[in-house]
Amino acid sequence: MKPIFILCIEDEPEVLEAVVRDLAPFEARFPIESASSVAEAREVVQDILSRGRLGLVICDHILPGEDGVSFLVSLHRDPRTAGTRKVLLTAQAGLSDTVKAVNQADLNHYLAKPWRREELHAVVRAQLTEFVLQHETDLYPYLTLLDAARLGERIRQQPLPADE
Amino acid sequence: MNTRKTVGILLGLAGFCLPWLVTFPGLSFPGHVTLGVFLLAAAFWLTEPVPIYTTSMLVIFLEVLLLSAEGPLCQFVRPPVAQPEVIAPTQTFRLPAGAVTSAGEVFVVRPAGNFDKLKVEVVERRADVVEVRSPAVSASTPVLSRSDHWLARYSPASYRTFFASLADPIIILFLGGCLLADASVKYRLDRALTRLFLRPVGTNPKLIVLGLLVATGVLSAFMSNTATTAMMMTVVLPLLAGLDADDPLKVAVVLAIPIGANIGGIATPIGTPPNAIALAALTKQGLSVPFVKWVLMALPIVAVTLVLSWLVLLKLYRPRTRELKIELGGAFDRSPKAWGLYVVFGLTALLWFTENQHGISSNIIAFLPVVALPMFGIVGKKEIHALPWDVFWLMAGGISLGTAIKTTGLAEWMVGRVEWSALGGFAIMAGLALLSFLLANFLSHTVTVTLLAPIAVSVGAVAGTATGFDLTTALIAVAVASSYGMTLPISTPPHAIAMGSGVIQTQHLVTAGGLIGIVGMALVLVMTRFFWPLFSR
Repeated sequence: MKPIFILCIEDEPEVLEAVVRDLAPFEARFPIESASSVAEAREVVQDILSRGRLGLVICDHILPGEDGVSFLVSLHRDPRTAGTRKVLLTAQAGLSDTVKAVNQADLNHYLAKPWRREELHAVVRAQLTEFVLQHETDLYPYLTLLDAARLGERIRQQPLPADE
Repeated sequence: MNTRKTVGILLGLAGFCLPWLVTFPGLSFPGHVTLGVFLLAAAFWLTEPVPIYTTSMLVIFLEVLLLSAEGPLCQFVRPPVAQPEVIAPTQTFRLPAGAVTSAGEVFVVRPAGNFDKLKVEVVERRADVVEVRSPAVSASTPVLSRSDHWLARYSPASYRTFFASLADPIIILFLGGCLLADASVKYRLDRALTRLFLRPVGTNPKLIVLGLLVATGVLSAFMSNTATTAMMMTVVLPLLAGLDADDPLKVAVVLAIPIGANIGGIATPIGTPPNAIALAALTKQGLSVPFVKWVLMALPIVAVTLVLSWLVLLKLYRPRTRELKIELGGAFDRSPKAWGLYVVFGLTALLWFTENQHGISSNIIAFLPVVALPMFGIVGKKEIHALPWDVFWLMAGGISLGTAIKTTGLAEWMVGRVEWSALGGFAIMAGLALLSFLLANFLSHTVTVTLLAPIAVSVGAVAGTATGFDLTTALIAVAVASSYGMTLPISTPPHAIAMGSGVIQTQHLVTAGGLIGIVGMALVLVMTRFFWPLFSR
């Protein structure tokens, strides 16, 4: 089974560290990668795709060089990452950028800085659950970390494995 | 196509052809044909070049073609016949020498194509002709010119017999159980009962493991082991989120589910398909085992192994945390249809458990939910379509194979090769149970019992006289032993689901499953020796 990665993109080291620290409970099942610029993020994405799948991107908008929203748009256009769940974690995205993210990158969630830990957990859990439901058939490994009610409901609908 | 499948197909075809090429002394021609079908089925079930239920369908098709009265083989084989030649007015006829057996019998061909055996008076026997006298023979009734022809000794069953195995009463019993289980899943009765079972155990991790074993065991006695495991996994895996990553309690909790499900399946005739197959074989022999009798026979070993499993799991994986809070959602559904289910389920269970009082077979009672649940709209077409038809076909193949093996004389021939009486009854029963346990670790439990049940019945036919041999005990031992075949991760679908959770490693399953499986098997031998034979007196 190919692992499902989480990618965090943030240019301020302390903020990046805080995001990764808050995501620690998910790391047991979802390896976390990080990048501090879009250029670096593109390299990391190539690396992730060679080893597994990109399940979730948590991205700041204002970054050195290319901005976060245009990176999300390019991810959405690539068929290999079109299904990746996309979250914008920012304080400075204006209305037009946000609209672009929603319309062209199929943005799944907008999270304003500063965030609360429980809030981030809930968003990440919901987005990863959605990704797993859309892309995985074997759901048992995710019952502990993700939304068990939704996964359990799907398991009830699934055919059971072979005979006894 | 991989090597295993290729080997399986070649083995199966070789097994099927062998009896057509080699003649085994003492075995009739239909016996040879059945042996070929049996070898083909065994090779295909062991290596699975095609899904196991399709092998069962093939078995039924081959039996209809090759063994039934209406099948092409019996239809198109023209036996050699001769017209009696009148040589004297006093009902004396001349026949070919081969037409008359040494006991002075001829086989008269009837218009329907079958034969009547007639005793005749042999007047004179020469090298190539025999003169006989009989009032029943006439010049217009042909007789079989070779009395040793296989058709003379074989009264083929109608093809209906082989097709009817799909509607065997035991399959109906299983059908009723499956429909009740499906309806329980639909109205979340399984979840609500789990909550009920786990409420009294509180937050003590040790008691929670026991509660899980018992809850899974009880549910799996009425539902399929696999469905129970799937449901319980969705209940317990979320509970593990709050535990330390390396707390052994996680392993104990996840192992408790498949182990509880496999053990619980032993408890009732409908708990798992192997039980039903053993029961079907017994019923065919005229030995009825009512629902409640099975439960009484199985309950002690189920209870003891559940408690032993609890001790083993706690010993191997001692919980580190002092407290595990379990908050389970899912109250009882109070809609009118759910109430309908509770009533039908309760009534069916009540009638099953009181069979001794009212005398109506549990197979007949099982049709009550089959009729009532769809009629009151409690289940619909969706649930009917979702029934495990593959399992029903698999069982039907086994049942019809058993019928063929018995009616063609293959059974007596196979077991006639061994000096059974020298072994003693217990040794034979123990050997069958051990064989079942060994096979069940590698094969589907249902296939194991499907293969072994006809063999056990054949052995019973010959060894019936051996001291202490009891067919009911033998078949129950075979069925129960197969349920303990859980030492390997591939052994059962519940194990596969538990492995899929990612919480446990192969070594955990091998250690705990192996230990509990072997202890269970040892207990099967104890039961076979001391407990189960008591029910046959």
